Amino acid sequence: MLDSSGDGMVDVAMVGAGQTKFGNHALGLKGMWAEAMENAIQSVDHGFQPSDVDEAFIGSIAFGGSQLGNTAALLTEHSGMEGVSVRRVENACASSGFALRDAWMAIKSGQADVVVAGGIEKMNDLSASRKRYWLGVSGDTEWERLAGLTFPGTYALTARRYFHEFDSTHDDLVHVSVKNHMHGYENEVAHLRKQVSFEKAQSGFMVADPLTLYDCCPTSDGASAVILVADHLAHKFTDTPVWVKGSGAGSDHLALHDRPSITQLRATQSAAAKAYTTAGLTAHDIDLAEVHDCFTIAEVLATEDLGFAGRGMGGRFAREGEGRRNEGEVTINASGGLKSKGHPLGATGSGQAVEVFKQLRHQVESPRQVRDAEIGLTHNVGGSGATCAVHIFGRER
Amino acid sequence: MQTVSNNHGNFACSQYGEKWAGPDGDRITLAIALLKQLPSGSVNINSFESRLDFPTSVGIQELIEASTNWTISEDSESYLHGHSDSYLVAVTSSSEEPNWPAFSSNKNKNESQQELIDQWSKEVQGVSQGAYVSQAQHIVASPSRLGLKAQNDHGTTVWPPRQLNSEGARIESSTNTLSEPATILTWTRLSAAGAPSEFSGRAPLLDGVSTVLVAFEEGPKGVFMLADDEHEAPEIDGKVRFEVRRLYGQDGMMHYGLKAVLCQS
Repeated sequence: MLDSSGDGMVDVAMVGAGQTKFGNHALGLKGMWAEAMENAIQSVDHGFQPSDVDEAFIGSIAFGGSQLGNTAALLTEHSGMEGVSVRRVENACASSGFALRDAWMAIKSGQADVVVAGGIEKMNDLSASRKRYWLGVSGDTEWERLAGLTFPGTYALTARRYFHEFDSTHDDLVHVSVKNHMHGYENEVAHLRKQVSFEKAQSGFMVADPLTLYDCCPTSDGASAVILVADHLAHKFTDTPVWVKGSGAGSDHLALHDRPSITQLRATQSAAAKAYTTAGLTAHDIDLAEVHDCFTIAEVLATEDLGFAGRGMGGRFAREGEGRRNEGEVTINASGGLKSKGHPLGATGSGQAVEVFKQLRHQVESPRQVRDAEIGLTHNVGGSGATCAVHIFGRER
Repeated sequence: MQTVSNNHGNFACSQYGEKWAGPDGDRITLAIALLKQLPSGSVNINSFESRLDFPTSVGIQELIEASTNWTISEDSESYLHGHSDSYLVAVTSSSEEPNWPAFSSNKNKNESQQELIDQWSKEVQGVSQGAYVSQAQHIVASPSRLGLKAQNDHGTTVWPPRQLNSEGARIESSTNTLSEPATILTWTRLSAAGAPSEFSGRAPLLDGVSTVLVAFEEGPKGVFMLADDEHEAPEIDGKVRFEVRRLYGQDGMMHYGLKAVLCQS
């Protein structure tokens, strides 16, 4: 494990971050990526040129099938990075969380000084059946999918079991939905900018019993990118870098039925433990966390697996409003999360980092700014928990 | 399933009567269910193969041998028959077309019957947006998928099948069979919007499709679509048994697998 605690290794700074609005885009893939990179470049205080980049890691699941091969080279070609060593990173919805980790490791190991990590997905120009196809082939196709399951189904199985094992009901998930819509309402790059009442979220259209429409994130178009540099270059680009203090990743069985428990994500637990260790921090140090709430039950599990709530207490954590902005010890999904900000699959993980970058530099428009934000965390999950990447960021090195 | 045994042989028909084998049934699923009820042996299927609605992703021999204790043999003196027009099957001691007994429906007519029949044809013949599982994988996994055959890895029962264990050693195939019934750990009912594209055509006709995650007594867990659940909701800790049914149609072929059926409490 790469450990940043005084071993002489390079520290990694995030000096720029940008994204498109998440939602339905008139832009194509090349245009969306260019817009995200343009925004990332413009966020670098002292100027940045694409020709500075040594390596690029771009997360994407499938591009809707339009450019499965050599995806990343197509994108760098259209963002001024011709000739850069680049590759597509694919770990389902955790693709750009892993792209971020790969970028961090490239700098940490001394192989690169300036690295772009990002992600992109365009799903909303696909027919409903094509969209379900692409969304469904990241789960276990041979056994789960042939039993009728895509992710609404697998998370519904998890939710019902969670209610059975712990003191929790669907109302706890409603609290998650209402909170994230409230947070995302003020986020100008969010896909669903609308507040939702408790009663409305409680009585939504049933998608996969017990999960309703208001438990499910939207499928979004979007792109996001961050610029990471080695410590010795950080102040060349900005006076206020955000330091990547910790990184961890884990994996688990692809299918729910192979896991010892379906009410906790071992991939998250493993990734979080590594990230906390490399950062030398604990869950109590985190001021804001962007967690992977593809379904509301996923946020409940994440609050437990990341250490913000005890085992079986995630429902209560949501019920008591612990994750609301500036109300509890930690703000969960200040951006609105996947539920409201949106979920452009491969772009989600690096999009979480964009939010944390702005929050820790105290550049978020009021009233979205998390008060006195010093330490932030991102949590990006692939599928129903087969893969997970966790990163911890800080204002101080 | 309804069955009749007389001196001509053993006959089976679905609960829905002769003209329909139910939302996910056909002559193959009836034949497998009938053979499972009979003492094991060998059977000749030469006259049966021409009575199928659609080509199958796995051969009839593999389907029957993986899901029952019967073997297929051209030398057998038992013969599997399928009625040319009706959903009737029989096992007799003659290769001649049997005298079919009359069956009536035990269930109310399903309003979506014709739409479901049409939907299956559409799925099999149409351009699929479903997940692709190779035919080779279907065949290799048939004993597990259709017959609940499990592996043994140093005393631990493994199902669905795995390749290497944590020591890097190959886990051998096994003839151990998981026992029924299994216990429901959790379940969901998916609307058409929540169902994979393979099932999204049938889901609205069936008012959704249900899936259960179950635990077997030997330890392994699995997910299965529910069958015959029009009037019943599953319950956690409830029991299910398994039957071979149609799963989905794709690329001109019908795919079969096990579905869970709720046990009466």
